[in-house]
Amino acid sequence: MKPDTVVDFDVALIERARRGDQKAFERLYREHVGRVNGLCLRMTRNPDLAADCVQDAFIKAWKALPKFEARASFSTWLHRIAVNTVLEKRRGSANNEVAVEDPTEYEEPTMVLDTPVEEEELEAAIESLPQGARDALVLCGVYGYEHSEAASMLGIAVGTCKAQLHRARGLLRERLERGVR
Amino acid sequence: MSRRIRRIDELARDVPPARDLWPAISAAIEADKAAAATPVQKQAGRRAFWMPAAGLAASVALVAVGVLIGKYLGHQPPIVDGSVARNESQIAADSPIVRAQLRHAEYEKQRDALLLEVKAKLAAMPPADRAKVSASLDTLQKSIKDIEDALGRDPANALLQELFVNSCQEQMRALTAVRDSGREEI
Repeated sequence: MKPDTVVDFDVALIERARRGDQKAFERLYREHVGRVNGLCLRMTRNPDLAADCVQDAFIKAWKALPKFEARASFSTWLHRIAVNTVLEKRRGSANNEVAVEDPTEYEEPTMVLDTPVEEEELEAAIESLPQGARDALVLCGVYGYEHSEAASMLGIAVGTCKAQLHRARGLLRERLERGVR
Repeated sequence: MSRRIRRIDELARDVPPARDLWPAISAAIEADKAAAATPVQKQAGRRAFWMPAAGLAASVALVAVGVLIGKYLGHQPPIVDGSVARNESQIAADSPIVRAQLRHAEYEKQRDALLLEVKAKLAAMPPADRAKVSASLDTLQKSIKDIEDALGRDPANALLQELFVNSCQEQMRALTAVRDSGREEI
């Protein structure tokens, strides 16, 4: 899965930014900030904390630009930095969860609901999920990353990522059926 | 009104932040650039330790630096227009020597004007952003202070003079970025 569809457009901007062109980096920021914020917001459930993570992620990205390989997806690279930033903040607040057991079954990341639901209702249900399950669902389900990519970003085993996604799906169905908000 | 969806991947991936985060990011980048120049400054400062510091010579050198800044101001009026202001802690950190040497009437006038604008901008920022931007501006100011100290020991050092001017320009750009934040989109 390649979530980024504007890589070619980014290449010139990235090159300029790597040479220290702040205007080019601002263009990259404007282009990607919505997606990075969406990711951070869904992972943190806190708009202020998410904004903090977004800021830090872009500052780290600026500093790390010389190490970025042009062949890679800038969006994925940026998301990886953002996820790392969220995880660092969590470690700082000691808000961690115990990983669940690996499942024996394999699942496709995409989740199809039995009946259509309001977007807001679905967002609220995702927000109510436990942290680990939510992370896996957001990265795999919403942002379309493969288990291996999401597991790598989160620093967990692929099996754990699958288990978390499985757990997230079960909880999500249950909560949507109950109409949890 | 919320739309109805059946697949999780139909959720909007883009969720713009409630406020523009670029000013704080830009200020942090400017601070990072200034900090990157600091090791060179300190190296130059160590060299200066071997040279006798003379108050009179220091004054002459700082006048020269002041003239350089004056030239910068004269050549780049759009940036200078209110771009030399500092927040309260930065003003307090100004050394008497530099303050005395940079008391160019136009410079002071423009600096005071920008100070008001930056203060207002900082006051309007959310507390977290304000803290970050202020910290970045303080970092810039600290870099300038380090160079001032080195210049006090080695007043005739051309490299230090150049670094001083460059750092002041970096500070001007950062302050201008703060002042202009949210005014224009690319």
